[in-house]
Amino acid sequence: MMNTTPTTQKRLRYLHRTWRGVQTLLAVVLLLGVTGRAMADDRPQRKIEYNRDVRPILSENCLACHGPDAKHRKAELRLDVRDEAIKKQVVVPGDPQASELIERILTEDATLRMPPASSKKLLSMRQKDILRQWVAEGAEYQKHWAFEPIQKAAPPDIANVSNLVDRFIQGRLAEDGLTPSPLAARETLLRRVSLDLIGLPPTIQEIEEFLKASERDADAAYAELVDRLLASPHYGERWGRWWLDQARYADSNGYSIDAPRQIWAYRDWVINAFNTDLPFDEFTLHQLAGDLLPNATQSQRVATGFHRNTQINQEGGIDPEQFRIDSVFDRVATTGTVWLGLTIGCCQCHDHKFDPITQKEYYQFFSFLNNQDEPSISVYAPGVDPAALGMRLNAAERDLTTYFKDRTEAIATWEKSLTDEDKKKLPGPVKAAIDTAADKRNFAQLRTIYAASPHAGEPEFRRLTAAYTDIHLQLYGVPTTLVLQERGQRRKTTIFIKGDFTRPADEVNSGTPALLPALENSTGQANRIDLARWLTSRQNPLTARVIVNRVWQQFFGRGIVETENDFGAQGMPPSHPALLDHLAWEFMERGWRFKELHQLILHSHTYRQSSLEREDVRAKDPRNELLGRQRRLRLEAEIVRDVALTASGLLSHKLGGPPVFPPIPEGVTTQGQGRQSWNVSTGEDRYRRGCYTFLYRATPPPALSVFDGPDGYSTCTRRIRSNTPLQALTLLNDATSVEFARALEKVIQTEGLAACFRRCTSRLPTPEELAVLQPLDPLSVARVLLNLDETISRE
Amino acid sequence: MNLSNNLPDCSPLNGRESERHALRSITRRHFFDNCAMGIGSLGLASLLSDGKLGLAADSTAIRNPVAPKPPHFPARAKSVIFLFMAGGPTQLELFDYKPKLKELNGQAIPDSYTAGKRFAFMGTNDHNNKLLGSRREFTQHGKSGAWMSDLLPHLGGIADDLCIVKSCKTDLFNHAPAKLFMNTGSGQFGRPSVGSWVTYGLGSESSNLPSFVVLQSGPRGPRGGAVLWGSGMLPTTYQGVSLRNTGDPILNLSNPDKVNPDQQRRVIDAVRDLNLKRLVATGDDEIATRINSYEMAYQMQTSAPELMDTGKETAETLKLYGISNPNEASFARNCLLARRLVERGVRFIQLYHTNWDHHGGSTENLETHLPAISKEIDQPSAALVRDLQRTGLLDHTIVVWGGEFGRTPMGEVRDSTGRNHHIDAFTMWLAGGGFKPGISYGETDELGFGVTQNPVHVHDLHATLLHQLGLDHERLTVPFQGLDVRLTGVEQARVVREILA
Repeated sequence: MMNTTPTTQKRLRYLHRTWRGVQTLLAVVLLLGVTGRAMADDRPQRKIEYNRDVRPILSENCLACHGPDAKHRKAELRLDVRDEAIKKQVVVPGDPQASELIERILTEDATLRMPPASSKKLLSMRQKDILRQWVAEGAEYQKHWAFEPIQKAAPPDIANVSNLVDRFIQGRLAEDGLTPSPLAARETLLRRVSLDLIGLPPTIQEIEEFLKASERDADAAYAELVDRLLASPHYGERWGRWWLDQARYADSNGYSIDAPRQIWAYRDWVINAFNTDLPFDEFTLHQLAGDLLPNATQSQRVATGFHRNTQINQEGGIDPEQFRIDSVFDRVATTGTVWLGLTIGCCQCHDHKFDPITQKEYYQFFSFLNNQDEPSISVYAPGVDPAALGMRLNAAERDLTTYFKDRTEAIATWEKSLTDEDKKKLPGPVKAAIDTAADKRNFAQLRTIYAASPHAGEPEFRRLTAAYTDIHLQLYGVPTTLVLQERGQRRKTTIFIKGDFTRPADEVNSGTPALLPALENSTGQANRIDLARWLTSRQNPLTARVIVNRVWQQFFGRGIVETENDFGAQGMPPSHPALLDHLAWEFMERGWRFKELHQLILHSHTYRQSSLEREDVRAKDPRNELLGRQRRLRLEAEIVRDVALTASGLLSHKLGGPPVFPPIPEGVTTQGQGRQSWNVSTGEDRYRRGCYTFLYRATPPPALSVFDGPDGYSTCTRRIRSNTPLQALTLLNDATSVEFARALEKVIQTEGLAACFRRCTSRLPTPEELAVLQPLDPLSVARVLLNLDETISRE
Repeated sequence: MNLSNNLPDCSPLNGRESERHALRSITRRHFFDNCAMGIGSLGLASLLSDGKLGLAADSTAIRNPVAPKPPHFPARAKSVIFLFMAGGPTQLELFDYKPKLKELNGQAIPDSYTAGKRFAFMGTNDHNNKLLGSRREFTQHGKSGAWMSDLLPHLGGIADDLCIVKSCKTDLFNHAPAKLFMNTGSGQFGRPSVGSWVTYGLGSESSNLPSFVVLQSGPRGPRGGAVLWGSGMLPTTYQGVSLRNTGDPILNLSNPDKVNPDQQRRVIDAVRDLNLKRLVATGDDEIATRINSYEMAYQMQTSAPELMDTGKETAETLKLYGISNPNEASFARNCLLARRLVERGVRFIQLYHTNWDHHGGSTENLETHLPAISKEIDQPSAALVRDLQRTGLLDHTIVVWGGEFGRTPMGEVRDSTGRNHHIDAFTMWLAGGGFKPGISYGETDELGFGVTQNPVHVHDLHATLLHQLGLDHERLTVPFQGLDVRLTGVEQARVVREILA
C-alpha cells in the first residue's frame, strides 16, 4: 500500500507541470488539519518560522520560476535567497505594504497577480496571511533543515525515562496527550528482533530459553539476545541485503540480452562487512574508491563492485559510449540518493528546481565517477597468493618446455610419419599447431602436439601436465567479479546540454555542490577517495542523517524522515528532528558502527513496545507517525522464504558463495529476449536463504518479485509492501511452497500441531485457533500455517 | 461489487459472541472512521455485511487497493488492448506509401535528412545510407481511402474503422530502451508502465482477474522482459500479470498436485478464519486486505481457466480470427483472449508479438519473413476489431497497434534486405474507444523519413489514451523523490484531439 492516500492526494491541487512534491502533502496536512493534531490555527500568535511555514508555500508556488534554476528564472528574481529578494525590493523586511511580494499576491488585478493564472496555482487566504506576517516579522530566512550542521541534541526530561531515544519520542507523544504502548509480549519481541536483525525467526529452543531467561531478568535476557543476534553470521545476510537493495545488486546484465554476470563476490563482501561491523566511513571508502587506496587489497577492489551493479547493454547496434554515460548517470544519481538523500539526478538536464544545485555542479560530481575502466578480476580464497601461483605456473611451464625440447626429435619423427590422410583426421587445433613451423610454435602448440602424439601416455609427461593444469586452474579457474579501475589518463568531463551526451558544452573538473561543506583534497586533482571522505566527513550534514534514518526505517517501517530518498526542499521534514540529529551524532561519535547504532535503537522502549492498534493513537495520530506503538510489518520477499524454510526445518545455514537456483515455475526465464538457463540446484543449495537466489533482472524469480523484491534496475531505498492475490497464489500453490509444507507436515507428525504453529508464528496457538486447525489433515494444516498473515509478518 | 453469490461458508465464526463483538468494534473503528484507501469489497466485505457478524448490511468498507475509482472526467473508454509489435514494424512496407522512395531506390539519402541524426548500428558496415523503395503493392481501402499494402488484406477490409497515425515519433532507438519508453514514457528504469498507471488511476472492474494482463506470442519474449509491464515505484498491486500459454495461465493457479478442490477450499477457509482472529487481535487492517487477496486468488483459480477455455467459442468466431486449433498458443488466440478479457472487465491488456526486427538477416528480412509475420497478425487484429464491434465492446475499448519504433527509408543489406530502427516517423493505428474511425492522421515527407505534419510523440499518445479513459495525464501523478511523476514526463505533452470522435 502506498502511504499517500488517494483521499489526501485529491486535496492536492495540480500545479505547474509535475513540479509539486510530497512537501505539499505536509503543508496541506498541517494547514487543513487533516490529522487532527495541533495546527497553526491553534496558535495564531506564534512567530512564523521560515522552514515550517514559509518554505513550503514558496517551494510549491513560486520557486519553479523564482528559484534556483537560472535558466527558467523569470524577471531575474529569486525568492529563495534573502539578499536577492531584498535587493529587488520585492521583500522589505518589517514592511509588508512596501513589499512587492505582498502587493502582487494580494492584488485584485488578475494581470499582475502572482502566481499567474497560467500556472494554475492559487494561494489560500491563510497562505497569504502567513507570507504577510512573515514579512512583517522581518522576513527571516532559515537554511533548509537538512543542510544545517548536525547538532548534538538534548532530549527532553521525562520522569523515570532514561533511554534517550524514548525521551525524544515520549516528549513528542506527550505534546499530543499520548503515551507509549506497553512492552510487546515476550515471544512477539523475540520474533521481532530476530527477524529485524538476522531475518530468521527464533527456533522453539530459542523461544523457550528466552522465556526462561526473561523470567529471571527480562532486561538482561533482552540485552543478551540482542548481543547474540548481532554476533550471528546471519546478521550480515539480513543487513547486507538491506545495503544490496541500495546498491541495485543483481546477477545479470539487464537491458535486452540480460546475460548472467559474476559479481557475487561483491555481495559476499557486503555481508562480511556487516558481520565485521566495518565502520560506515571505511565501508563507503572501499566501495567508492577501493581501487585507489595505496596497495589496494583484493577485498578493497572487490568492494568497488558497488558501482558496477549498473546494467550493461549488449544489444546489437548500440553506441557503447551512450550506455557507458548512462551508467555514470546512474552512479551519480545512486550516490546522491544513497549517501546524501538528494535528488542530484534531477540536474542531469537542468539546474535543480528546488534545491540549490546547479547543472554544472552535477557534472562536477559526474566527473568523479567518469574516470574509470570497468574490468573484472579474479577472486582468490583468503591466503591464496596469485603472484606466487603465477611463479609456480611459470616454473611448471618451464619444466614442460624443457621436456618437449628434450624430445624434439621424437616428435619430428612422429610428424613425418603422418600421411596427408592422417593429418586431415586430426582435430583442428592439433592440425593448426603442426602446420606452424617447428621453431615458431608456442607453448600451447607444443603441448597440443605432444598430447596428440603417441608419446602422450608417458608417465613423466602426464605428471608434468597434471601439475601444470592444477596450478593453472588455481590461478584462472576461480570466480571473477566486476570492479572499478581508475584510468591513468583522465577522461574529459563536460556539461551535457539537456543531459544529451551528443551535446557537450563547457568542460568541468571534479567537485562537490557548493551548498554543502567544501571538499578537502590533498592531492590537487580530487578523486573518488576525496569524494568518499567528503561524504563521510563529520561536517557533512546529510550522510549520517540519511543513513541513520534508513536504519530507523528498517526497525519501524518508516523513517523519521518519511521521504527517505529526498532530504531536499521537496522532501518531508523529520517527524522528530532532534532525535534524528541525536542518532546521527551518536553514529559518527561511535565510529560509524552499525551495531552500536542498532543497540541505541533496540534498547529503547519505543522499539520494544507493542504494535497493537490503539483507539487513542488511531484517533490522534492515525498514521502512527509519533510511534505511540510499534508497527506491524509484512516481511521482505527473501525473508518470507527464509521463515518458511526455517519453520519446515529445511533451511541451509551456509553463508555466501555463488548464487543458487532453487526451483522456479517452468517458463519463467523465457519471458525476456533470451531463454536463460535455470539448472535447479541440488543438495542444500536448494534450500538456501532468499538472498542467495540468482537474480536475473529481466526475468526475476517470481516468488521474490511478487513480494516486492527489488529488480536491481535502480537503487531501492525502501521496499514497498504490497498485498496481492498473486502472493496468495504463490504461498498456496507454488511447488516450492508445497515442498515446504510437506516438510512441515512431517514435523507436525513428530512434534504436533501446536509446536508447528509456534515454528511459524513464534507463539503458541489459542484454543480457538487450534479448533480451526484440528479438523484438517496434516498437509492442509502445514499449508494453512505457512499461509498465515502472521507467519509472513513481524509484529 | 456484490459477490455474495460466491460467499464462502463462514460457519467457524458462528456463535462466538465475544469475537463478534470485538470484530464489530474493530471493523467499525477501522473501516468507517479512518479508512484511507479506496473502499471496495470482496469476500470479507460480504462476510461482514451478510448479517452473521451483527454488522450493518451496508458495511462494505474493506480495503481493496484495486477498487474502482472514479475518473477525473467522464470517460469514453473503459479498457485498452495494446497490440505491441515487438521489434519495430516497418511502416514503409505496411502503411506509409512512398512512391518517391521507390523512384529513388538505391540512391544515397540526401545529407539534409540525416545530418546530426543518430542511428542504431552507426559506424558499422551494417549502417547504410542507400534508400530502399518498398517492393510491396499499395492500394487504397474503404471509403476513407487509407493506403495499405498487400500484406494487410484483412486490415484493409476494416480501414474505415481505423484511426491510422502516420506521424508517430519516439526518443530512443535501441530495442530495450525504446520498448521501455513506449511502455513507461521514460527510458529510465523504475517507472510504471501504461497499464499500471491506468490501473492505479481507475482501479479494476474485475473481481476475479488481474486488471492488467500481458499475453505473449512469437518465437521469443520481448526484449526487456518483465520491466515492460512492471509497476515501477507503484506497488506490485498494479503490475501486469503475464498470462502464460502453457501450463497454468497464471503462475501457481492450479491447486497443488494431489490436493483436491475440497481440501483447497478448506485450507483457504482456515487461513481466512485465523487471519480474521489475528485482525481482531491486532487491529491491523492490512490483514483485511490479505483476507481479500486470498478470496480473490481463490476466485481466480476458477475464473482464469474459464477465461482460457476458448474451445467454447463458436466455430464462426474461431474462423473470424483464423484459429484452427483453439488450444494452440498464437497471436490469433491471444486476440480472442483479449476480447474475452475485456468482456470480463479487465482494464488493460497488452499483447506482445515477436519479432518485427527486420534488419535483413537470414531470418528477419523483408522478403520472406515480413510477409509471414504480417499474415500472423493481419487477420486476427482485424478480427478483434470486428468482434469487439459486433459485441458492442468497441465503443468503450481502445485497440492500439504498433511497436517501439519504425524503420528507416534507407535499406540494410545483410543476408537479404531489411531496414534499420527509425524513431522520427512511424505508423500506429487505433480503433474504438472514441477514436475517430476512417482517418489517416499526420504526414511524412516524400521519403518517409520525417514528419511534415501533425507529429504525435509517444507522450502525446499516452496523454490521449489516458484522456479517453477519463484521466488527465497532468493529474495522474505519484509523488516520488520530490517530483510528481507522471506517465507523460516533464516536457509538454498534448491530447491529440483531432483524432478523437
